[in-house]
Amino acid sequence: MDLEFSKADEDYRQRLRAWLRDNLGEGGSANAVMRQAEKDPGAAKDPLAGARAWARRLHEAGYVGLAWPKEYGGQDASFTEQVICAEEMARVRTPPLINTIGLTIIGPTLVQHGSEEQKRRFLPRILSADDLWCQGFSEPEAGSDLASLRCRAELDGDEFVVNGQKVWTSLAFLSNWMFLLVRTDPDAPKREGISYLLLDMKTPGINVRPLRNAAGGQHFSEVFLDDVRVPRDNLVGELNRGWSIARSSLDHERSGLSGVIALEETLGRLWRMAGGLKRGTDQALADAGARRALAQHWIEIEGLRHLGYRTLSDQIAGKPPGPGASVGKLFASEVRQEMTRTALQLEGPLGPVAKRSPHVVERGRWHAAYFDALAHSIGGGTSEIMRNVIAEKVLGLPRLQDD
Amino acid sequence: MDFDLSEEQHALQEMARDFLAERWPTERSRQLLDARPALIDDDVWREIVEMGWLGVAASEEAGGIGGDVTTAAVLCQEAGRGVLPGPFESSLVAAIALDRSRDEALCKNLLPELIAGSRRVSVGIEEPGGLYGPDAVSAEAREEAGVWRVSGHKILVPEANEADRLLVAARTSQGPALWCVPAAAEGVTINRMDRMDAQSCGEVILEGAAAEGGVLAGAERGEALLREVYDIWTVLLAADLLGSAEASLELTRLYACERVQFGKPIGTFQAVSHRLADTLVEVEIGRSLLFAACLALDEGRDNAAPLVSAAKAWLGDTAVAAAETAMQIHGGVGFTWEYDVHLHLRRARCNAAMQGDADHHRDRIADYMGESWVAPVKA
Ligand SMILES: Cc1cc2nc3c(=O)[nH]c(=O)nc-3n(C[C@H](O)[C@H](O)[C@H](O)COP(=O)(O)OP(=O)(O)OC[C@H]3O[C@@H](n4cnc5c(N)ncnc54)[C@H](O)[C@@H]3O)c2cc1C
Repeated sequence: MDLEFSKADEDYRQRLRAWLRDNLGEGGSANAVMRQAEKDPGAAKDPLAGARAWARRLHEAGYVGLAWPKEYGGQDASFTEQVICAEEMARVRTPPLINTIGLTIIGPTLVQHGSEEQKRRFLPRILSADDLWCQGFSEPEAGSDLASLRCRAELDGDEFVVNGQKVWTSLAFLSNWMFLLVRTDPDAPKREGISYLLLDMKTPGINVRPLRNAAGGQHFSEVFLDDVRVPRDNLVGELNRGWSIARSSLDHERSGLSGVIALEETLGRLWRMAGGLKRGTDQALADAGARRALAQHWIEIEGLRHLGYRTLSDQIAGKPPGPGASVGKLFASEVRQEMTRTALQLEGPLGPVAKRSPHVVERGRWHAAYFDALAHSIGGGTSEIMRNVIAEKVLGLPRLQDD
Repeated sequence: MDFDLSEEQHALQEMARDFLAERWPTERSRQLLDARPALIDDDVWREIVEMGWLGVAASEEAGGIGGDVTTAAVLCQEAGRGVLPGPFESSLVAAIALDRSRDEALCKNLLPELIAGSRRVSVGIEEPGGLYGPDAVSAEAREEAGVWRVSGHKILVPEANEADRLLVAARTSQGPALWCVPAAAEGVTINRMDRMDAQSCGEVILEGAAAEGGVLAGAERGEALLREVYDIWTVLLAADLLGSAEASLELTRLYACERVQFGKPIGTFQAVSHRLADTLVEVEIGRSLLFAACLALDEGRDNAAPLVSAAKAWLGDTAVAAAETAMQIHGGVGFTWEYDVHLHLRRARCNAAMQGDADHHRDRIADYMGESWVAPVKA
């Protein structure tokens, strides 16, 4: 048993650290890169020029698309390099990547299931952030029960004609491509009549309506599709075989170790905040209950970290994935929520003060984090669905009735 | 990067599991609940000794196998799963303490005898007063005319009545450390103090009892040895708790597949299956913490102590919750004497409160966080 990374892996880490130091600047953010790009002529036409520039910078240095084959612009990197990269980026809080959905969901799906032409056409443009993708799976009547989706696609010559509605589509209003699930055989059993399509968002007949979320921000949208024509070449895999492809893309989650570093950062912040807040004449950190709550988060984070190492170690040894992925997703979203609850509790009577008020604690960051954390046990498969998966797949309990 | 047990450790684990299932059926643990004193069968104990379990983490010169804390933990995990009573774990800890003391006389004589089963050695650290660990030790040791004399009050000393020697924690002006006291020495009184899970232990009252030799590991290293031994014992109990939680989960899983109500196995009801899914998550997090802590101890990492605390706090909570879940989901039969659920619940409850309960360990982690992150003004 050992948790050591090899010399080569450690060298990789040092090179990456040096690169991050050089490219994040003193301020500790990539804002400089972004601001510079925004000043460029031509940037006026693209409100995302800054964010794209940062994504591109990472790509040029070879720090995205790590798992993808070299021939499509990837790095053919090892599992450990992928983990190190995720860890180091999280540690210095690199700005979120605008092309994350492309990098983590559709890219890996195309690597695995796409045609040669699709790979050549789409993968490099995902890496360079020229294309931004959104995921059109959920529908008003098909959430957890995704396989009951109704959005129809009928073949008409060389084209599909798509009609229906998608909802909760994250970043749809910024994206120029969508990957979506459509029903291509309404008579087949529900999992056998679904196909996986790639849709150019500029195609006529698409109407994107941004929705304001509970936290007050704009993140997801409703998307209406009305006689939208999609070339047959944009079908991923075989006709009516989209369900299994979609399932595999839900499995593309990483070992979750980058999430651990982010939680660790959050805990450090909580600890410092508790040191600065008052409870009568004491600091909040002097309270035994508060200390134990924070210690419990330390325990949870170490548990998650070492669960991640187990998953990684199994991957390296070529073992089939253990319970790590579903356990990690469920547990991480719970820990995240608990930590933001602890934060609001530590803030005490000042907890409710709104962001715009001069009395606000830490600029209201914990309100935002709290709402954000609550969404984590809904998006990407709810916690209840994760428990169903664990009960059936890991514990082998009898399956729920399902048609 | 290989965060898995070695092949030998896996093999040892399997062997231990099979041995206990065959030679120590849970029925025996149930019978012990009515026995006074509750002691393991001599022949089973002899076989355990012959398999070399007591010396699994002691050096080869002393007749041990030279294994590490991780290997010892694997055996304790099985002891927990199989509800094996004392004095296995305390003997293992005593062997580790003697071995790591590098005390020439004790390592040459007592340790091989302990490993060979001809002498029993127990360990007494906790005291009445409601606190845990080396910092709470108030027993005193004084040197008089070349003889160390120990006075104080120890509780929950595993099978103290059956022990030939007691490794007891006491304090000098230099801090707490361990001394080896013959159980038959003058000034030693031992009273029975049974646990609700049929493990025998004792209250030991020391009134100027003469120790054999000096401070274990010497004045310089004595306190460090005591702390190391306490941490190792703690992590071995955490391993026991993991085995216990796994046993509760497995019992309940099987029952949820078999038991039919409303025409369906009860495992199809989400109120049941989701509770088991949550237990599984807790067990897997606990397993990750346990082996992280073992590895940190074996590699001498400086975050070993907080990881040990993390494993113990988490697994104490988890094993108790897993057993309570087992009782609820078994319904009426879960509350019967004949079902094993209460055996696991009793053991988990006891072990969760030994070697530091969850709050003790969370406090220790909070102190570590304060030292390693920021030093806020002490309130
Ligand atoms: C912030 C955010 C971003 C999102 N982004 C996207 C995106 O980009 N693309 C996309 O396609 N979707 C996206 N989603 C949608 C998300 O995948 C769905 O919301 C989720 O799958 C749940 O579906 P639903 O909302 O229809 O809820 P429902 O499925 O109706 O669930 C309602 C409640 O019932 C419970 N429930 C349902 N079925 C069961 C069952 N079998 N057993 C037990 N409990 C059950 C659920 O757990 C939940 O608590 C996003 C959601 C959020 C919150």
